[in-house]
Amino acid sequence: MAEIQLRNLSKRWGSFVGVNNFDLAIEDKEFLVLLGPSGCGKTTTMRMIAGLEDATEGDILIDGARVNDLEPKNRDVAMVFQSYALYPNMNVYENIRFPLRVRGIDPALHKERVMQAAERVELLDFLDRKPAALSGGQRQRVALARAIVRKPKVFLMDEPLSNLDAKLRVSTRAQIKNLSHDLAATTVYVTHDQIEAMTLADRVVVMKSGIVQQVGSPTEIYDTPANTFVASFIGSPAMNLIDGELVDGKFSAPNVAITGLTGGNGKVTLGFRAEDATVVEQKGEMNAPIYTLELLGDATMVSVRIGGQLVAVKADKTFRSDIGDPVSIHIPAEHCHLFDTETGLRVQS
Amino acid sequence: MSAKAFKQPPALRTFSSAFVIVWLVIAAFPFLWTLWGSFKIELDFFSKADWQNALTGARTFLEHGSPFTGDGYQGAWVQEEFWQAVINTAIVCFFTVAISLTFGTLGGYALSRSTYRYTFWLLIIALIFRAMPPITLVAGYLLPFFEWNLWGILPTTIIVLVAINQPFTLWMLHSFFQKIPKELDESAKVDGCTQFQAFRHVIIPVMWPGVITTGLFSFLLAYNDFAVTSMLLSKENQTMVPKIASFLGTTQTEGNVMFAVAAVVSATAPLFILVMFFQRQIVSGLTQGAVKG
Repeated sequence: MAEIQLRNLSKRWGSFVGVNNFDLAIEDKEFLVLLGPSGCGKTTTMRMIAGLEDATEGDILIDGARVNDLEPKNRDVAMVFQSYALYPNMNVYENIRFPLRVRGIDPALHKERVMQAAERVELLDFLDRKPAALSGGQRQRVALARAIVRKPKVFLMDEPLSNLDAKLRVSTRAQIKNLSHDLAATTVYVTHDQIEAMTLADRVVVMKSGIVQQVGSPTEIYDTPANTFVASFIGSPAMNLIDGELVDGKFSAPNVAITGLTGGNGKVTLGFRAEDATVVEQKGEMNAPIYTLELLGDATMVSVRIGGQLVAVKADKTFRSDIGDPVSIHIPAEHCHLFDTETGLRVQS
Repeated sequence: MSAKAFKQPPALRTFSSAFVIVWLVIAAFPFLWTLWGSFKIELDFFSKADWQNALTGARTFLEHGSPFTGDGYQGAWVQEEFWQAVINTAIVCFFTVAISLTFGTLGGYALSRSTYRYTFWLLIIALIFRAMPPITLVAGYLLPFFEWNLWGILPTTIIVLVAINQPFTLWMLHSFFQKIPKELDESAKVDGCTQFQAFRHVIIPVMWPGVITTGLFSFLLAYNDFAVTSMLLSKENQTMVPKIASFLGTTQTEGNVMFAVAAVVSATAPLFILVMFFQRQIVSGLTQGAVKG
């Protein structure tokens, strides 16, 4: 349906930089997730695509045509807002029909299209209700139906799940994934939840302070984070990061010694994921007293303190010990990531 | 909400009930007294001999054979053509409210959605104009209105009342609009509306309680105004309030004071009906809960 190109897109308010030099081509039918902590510029980027915010610099192209100067209504995008932004005076049917009505689409087609959209999101029983009489999940689905009722080129979703409770979030997430697959529409999705990003995205853009940190598939982002920010943002728990020194392939920090690494000598930050390390009887690469022990059901999370930092390791679900007991942890060198301590950037190995 | 949380000790409940009743009596008494007295003659209602005559209507009974008489109303409405003042008031109120609300909704909406800093100063200036006593404006208007031959007619009064009223409607509607989330406008715009369509199809329907409340206050200002209407209207164009004042001002005859009393009652009654009719809109919060999850 549509491909979107963002060329050196920037947004500044006075001296405050919202988005800096965002450069990306979003492919046709791609599900792109903008991920980052609050204030990182992800929503601003989306709002610039929608036309709700003017770009300070740079171009936005949809299907090759520059849309910077077009009104939102002329960009053929649909947007789902975090607050849903349903029209409180209209019932569900009228809410879903609204885009058709204001765009002057032949009224004879309205009923069929609204019914189709409502059916997709399982809202047929609620068409006469006002938004105030709906639950959060239902309101969210009305917003989805309103977005899909006219088949727009691009779907924009601004944290659509963040107002739902945890259980509903999982099922709605599945619904959105299924919907976007069926509609085969280009989708830009904004979230601060890395699990949503991992589960939904074809590609993830990780942002921080208006600057793109890494663009890649969820696997790439997870397996080869470009810097310590991405490493510490992705994954649950996030990647363990330990500051130390690398000398001749040997990393050392208080209570930690890992051999068999490649890379230049000097100060580095070593990263590894909780599930890549194992608790062993003795002679592990890391030895320290247990700081805390968390039972997760499918695993036991063991944390130790290394140089003021908490380091978490996933142990077998049957593992039991006491806080303060010494523990030995095996960290395979091939699962270690090295980052420059100064710049935070990944050290190529 | 549990009823228990609102349970009060009996002493407090008795006291607060008593307080409310006393307050109601004090608040309602002047109107009830006037309503009762409007069916008497002046010698009873303004009796020097015995104030109880106002209640019993002793003189009225002597004169008319009944403790009640409609003479005051007859005199005001038929003899003094009070109905003309009623029509004038209706015209003034209708146009003042219509014009104030048109500019107020458009301006309040624009100010609430504007990102420029000068909107704040516009509102402050509006507040300053609002704070001025209306009579200060009238004094300045009088000479030009005489010169241009605009004095004494209804349109001039309407324009002046709108000018006095506009800062208030702007403020009030601006704060109502600010409570409506910007996402609603934005959603409408993405859905295919121009800014004006978003205003008309999405924002105004949500705003109705605010528009009605503001409209009612504008109406009351125009309805109750004395300073402007008494200075700017010729005798034949007078609205109700200056007309009532003129009944009082020429107390040569017995009938005239009672005309004023009857006219006061006639002018007050519609207000009760109006407020009761719109009370639901005035207190309602239509947007609450409908936008946020």
